[in-house]
Amino acid sequence: MNFHETFFILLAAIIMIFSVLVVTTDKILRAATYLLFVLLATAGLYYWLQYEFMAAVQVALYAGGIVVLIVFSVLLTHQIHHKLVSITLTRKLLAFGIAGLGALVSIVTIVNYDFNTAPAEAMKVDVRQIGLHLVNTGHNGFALPFEVVSILLLAALIGAITIAKKEESNSDNI
Amino acid sequence: MQSELLVLFFVLGLILSGGAIVFSYFIMPHSFNATKVEAYECGIPSKNNSWSQFNVGYYLFALIYLVFDVEIVFIFPWGEVLKEVGKPALVEILIFFFVLALGLAYAWKKKALKWE
Amino acid sequence: MYDFSQLTQAIHLFLVQHLNSSSVAIVELVLVGLLFLTMYAILGLTLVYMERKVCAFIQNRLGPNRVGPLGLLQTVADLIKLLFKELLMVKKADKFLFNLAPFIVVIASMMTIGALPFAKGFQAIDLNIGLFYIISITSLGVLGILLAGWSSNSKYSLLGALRSGAQIISYELSVSLSLLSIIMFTGSMQLSVIVESQANGWWIFKGHIPVFISFLIFLIASTAETNRGPFDIAEAESELTAGFHTEYSGIKFAFFFLAEYMNMFLSAALAATVFLGGWMPFHVSGFEGLNQVMDFIPPIVWFFGKTFTLIYVIMLFKWTFPRLRVDQLLTLEWKYLLPINLVNTIVIAFVVVMGWYF
Repeated sequence: MNFHETFFILLAAIIMIFSVLVVTTDKILRAATYLLFVLLATAGLYYWLQYEFMAAVQVALYAGGIVVLIVFSVLLTHQIHHKLVSITLTRKLLAFGIAGLGALVSIVTIVNYDFNTAPAEAMKVDVRQIGLHLVNTGHNGFALPFEVVSILLLAALIGAITIAKKEESNSDNI
Repeated sequence: MQSELLVLFFVLGLILSGGAIVFSYFIMPHSFNATKVEAYECGIPSKNNSWSQFNVGYYLFALIYLVFDVEIVFIFPWGEVLKEVGKPALVEILIFFFVLALGLAYAWKKKALKWE
Repeated sequence: MYDFSQLTQAIHLFLVQHLNSSSVAIVELVLVGLLFLTMYAILGLTLVYMERKVCAFIQNRLGPNRVGPLGLLQTVADLIKLLFKELLMVKKADKFLFNLAPFIVVIASMMTIGALPFAKGFQAIDLNIGLFYIISITSLGVLGILLAGWSSNSKYSLLGALRSGAQIISYELSVSLSLLSIIMFTGSMQLSVIVESQANGWWIFKGHIPVFISFLIFLIASTAETNRGPFDIAEAESELTAGFHTEYSGIKFAFFFLAEYMNMFLSAALAATVFLGGWMPFHVSGFEGLNQVMDFIPPIVWFFGKTFTLIYVIMLFKWTFPRLRVDQLLTLEWKYLLPINLVNTIVIAFVVVMGWYF
């Protein structure tokens, strides 16, 4: 077993173990921390696939952005020091059954799927190509999606402000 | 070689912090004192749990930050090809920034950028 | 001349002759590891010593002058003292997260130091997304701070961590946007390419006014991102005791301290690399005599010279400016730096497309 395979197995193990821990832990901030590990290991997988830009985006946006957001939103909730309510056995069994069913479906699909053999040389996607696609207005270009993204971000910003900011008029009452 | 090196630096950080903590654990004094394990609060016994509800402002800034962070992820590849593509890229970023400037202006107008 | 890759090639060839391929890789990794661990420790100790001396100089004191010549061994003595201190933990703290936080901070700073080009051929990780890699890894540091503050279960820690979190994420935008200006000029994020592109003049001269503006913004924003004064509301001694690391003692506290200094080194080194040419000597095209004299100074001296000059400037900020309030801090970023930066980005895009630079 060479370095390449060991690295993959290590990352896969981290993702699996911590994904389970995210949903089983009874402390809410620990769940966020375990989620951080899962996201970082996913970034590691991208890196392992030599998709470095995606890995860096994963770290910057998910680990550095969304987890910070989650931590801040956890601090907004009441009684975060209380442990989460423990789940009843029937619910546990039900969840386990559904998860097992999902896993079964996935495994059957993967086993039966006719995968194409990958070309010998891995395709190298560098940032330059992403950039060229983003500004390409012709065939296969992503110039329009690039602009639409800005409108999407605008909508997200307005939504965020609307949710988190109370209106001026009722600020006196509260 | 590059991927090994990245892992190497991760391990280096781990060795540095872990090694020093383990080393320190063996040479440090181990004395128990009930007041030593209290949270610091100017000398008086600490009251209540400090994990309490916090100002929504932090959350709001994190949300606005996330929007701009996504924007930066999109304009980094753009920045890399600006020189070779030239004017079309310039036009695109003008539209992109105009829409984002609208967002910033909206946030400004709604006093979301003001700390309370 | 002064090419480190010749040295590394020589070592590589020597190892290849005597060992088989897998052990060559392992020996090389160990060598790189030892080199960077030593450098990390020495840099950390030097920076702490330098901070004390600069602070003393500004406050008209002598600073450390008892341990060793000129007090040079003072920080070593402090480190040994901290190793002997008991590692305390608050009774009500979240033990796992409390122990995890220093690791995140140290690992994040370690992984970024490896990507810096110290001299020609002296750069461990040279990814083609270099700058973006550094930006993304530094954004992890904030999580270490948030977890440290939260897990301590102390009011000071939590307040400090929250302030620090809001501050770091806000200023990260300005840091990224100001670095983008140089990416537009060079058309690459690879740090070695960025340094090579400055062979005929540093970007701060070639890109004139707009690059100078983004250099200033980078300097301000990265000072704020490393939680240093005058932006140190997160650990303001006079109001929050020590902020997010109030409850940490001994070597764990030392790690937060060390990581803060290494982050300061990182931002100064990044500013030196991106705006001031990194290890590239000062060249003026047309003056061959001057260029050859400048080439005579080794690149590593250029790199550390520029970096430590910038560190000195950042230290001057801390000891001469009064601390900002949290609302002033956020106003500065969101209402001044960010809009200026966005406009500046457009201006630079124009400059690049029109070719209005040297």
